[in-house]
Amino acid sequence: MSAVTVAARPVPARASRGLWRDALRRLLRNRPALVGFFFIGIFVLAALLAPVIAPYDPLAGRLVDRLKPPSAEHIMGTDLQGRDEFSRILYGARVSLQVGVVSVVLGLLMGGTIGALAGGIGGRVDTILMRVVDVLLAIPGILLAIGIVAWLDRGLFQIMLAVAATNAPIFARLLRGSLLALRESDFVIAARSIGASSPRLLFRHLLPNALTPLIVQATLALATAIIDVAGLGFLGLGPPDPRTAEWGTMLTDSTKFLHQAQHLIFFPGLAIVISAIGFNLLGDGLRESLDPRLRR
Amino acid sequence: MALLDVDDLVVRFRTHEGTIHAVNGVSFELEEGETLGLVGESGCGKSVTNLAVMRLLPKPAGKVEGGRVIFDGQDLLALPEREMREVRGRDIAMIFQDPMTSLNPVLTIEEQMVETIRAHRQVSVADARQRAVELLSMVGIPHPADRLKSYPHQFSGGMRQRVMIAMALALEPKLLIADEPTTALDVTIQAQVLELLRDLTERAGTAVIVITHDLGVVAGITQRLNVMYAGHIVEAGTTDALFERPSHPYTVGLLHSIPRLDAPPGEKLIPIEGVPPDQRRAPTGCPFAPRCAWRLEVCWTEMPPLEPVDGSAEVVLSGPRASHRVACHNRPTADEARAGRPLRPGFVPAPPPGDVVDELVAAEGAVEEELVVFDDSGAPATALPGAHGLPQSPEEGEQR
Repeated sequence: MSAVTVAARPVPARASRGLWRDALRRLLRNRPALVGFFFIGIFVLAALLAPVIAPYDPLAGRLVDRLKPPSAEHIMGTDLQGRDEFSRILYGARVSLQVGVVSVVLGLLMGGTIGALAGGIGGRVDTILMRVVDVLLAIPGILLAIGIVAWLDRGLFQIMLAVAATNAPIFARLLRGSLLALRESDFVIAARSIGASSPRLLFRHLLPNALTPLIVQATLALATAIIDVAGLGFLGLGPPDPRTAEWGTMLTDSTKFLHQAQHLIFFPGLAIVISAIGFNLLGDGLRESLDPRLRR
Repeated sequence: MALLDVDDLVVRFRTHEGTIHAVNGVSFELEEGETLGLVGESGCGKSVTNLAVMRLLPKPAGKVEGGRVIFDGQDLLALPEREMREVRGRDIAMIFQDPMTSLNPVLTIEEQMVETIRAHRQVSVADARQRAVELLSMVGIPHPADRLKSYPHQFSGGMRQRVMIAMALALEPKLLIADEPTTALDVTIQAQVLELLRDLTERAGTAVIVITHDLGVVAGITQRLNVMYAGHIVEAGTTDALFERPSHPYTVGLLHSIPRLDAPPGEKLIPIEGVPPDQRRAPTGCPFAPRCAWRLEVCWTEMPPLEPVDGSAEVVLSGPRASHRVACHNRPTADEARAGRPLRPGFVPAPPPGDVVDELVAAEGAVEEELVVFDDSGAPATALPGAHGLPQSPEEGEQR
């Protein structure tokens, strides 16, 4: 009796709630993800508001103030050329955010296209594309990035391209994998059994369902991208203008003064760690809240 | 002329482990508005037969390697993919086993239903939505207009299967293929869904093929049954005739392995011993012979033809007067069918003849060899005579 009443009762409150809103609700209940959000918030605000917050010009300093430890005037101290470290960290966030976002979007476009072609067409196209991807994956990411920057010369766009190229094969594999799994799934066969066309299958049934792992991977890739950019900077392959405030380059510059000015290592390092951890935590949280197996 | 005429259909899968002989020459007919049950255990080829009819076999492994499928006067196997797409949904629709996975999780019910309708009919979105509401209320979903906005995960399993039925019937197809439509549902919901399916298809005059391993499911809703084993139809006839007088040892076994409320107290269920044959081997003889209590020597070497039980020369393939046909060299008598075992004094199932054993061992060897290539453990498999497919005793059969 009770089963009948339950089945017959309308559930408008639940019916109005969408898939993404469910996911968002779960995400907001995930504590590590919220910490990630908080870190990313700091990072993004720092990048966007750098010109407003920064107390000094990040490129100009007075040599008399060089290598000062943190004080009331310079809360993160000063670097070798007397520039305010705090202002440089803020402006460094801009570089990291810009390069990170552009390179991940670029990588998504490249990898997504390759993955969609391989998984969508299959057959020989799939075999050839995936072998190319395998070759790229076999090369360590940072090595590949160094190679590309060395080949195309230093520059912000080259760095973006290099980081994108290290991420693209991962996106390609991921998308192809989900497409292949989805092609054999019941609802895709069901859609085919009611006569859905191939483009409709790809764009309505396959891609939307393959999107969630890509979103998660893209968030995690932002973390790696920030580290990669800093890594390239640290290896001396950062932005061509040596004055540019870039976290990795700032680390390299300060290694020679480790004994006199530990703050020059500490603050850029902290900035890299906070932004990378932020994206990692958010990525993990997204994975959990978007996982279809957890959907209720 | 029959609505669907499947003639000598052969489907094989080419895999790394060899060729799977999934469907080995299946023929059947279906009239308009008729309900046919395809019964058999997992892997007997019943789903593959229908995926082949729909041309939805998994590519590139699955291939139709012989036979014809004539639907409504058209040879489906010869149709270009574009025209076949028109047939799917409009003329033939399918319902799948698991309603939890056969709806797209990221689209609302409305999007999926409207899409289905508009894929085949030139109607406006508003009209398609109106039709979707009608369909949902037809399958008994309360507050259909509200529920249209829901996502699949907001429905229970039974409700989802109702949505699937609504979508399948949206375009009033001539043929509905229901592949295990109630297997994933609660027992309490099963009867409801089956009744709904019968009512709707009867009213619309839709022909239905119900695929199931559960004789209880088909008993009430089908007019005719085809019993399949290892890619062959081993017995065919009206549902009444098959239940009243099962004539193939496998059908007898199936009927004796399900509990019945009207059975005398204390009567034991008789399991079918052994496992289905390894379909990587080309079929020789009757596929059921290794598990059969009635087998003769000829069963090992010769596949019996599907022939009318009453021995008449005239064969009716479909409709209410369809002939009761069986493929068996040594049919159980009525008493034996009732008892579930041979009652002839001194009868012993024939052991496999020497050359069949040799052949089986040789085939095993070939299969093992192929397997070793793909075996991770690296341990060489020892092929013993009858190690596969030939239970030497009931106990051994059970262990595997």
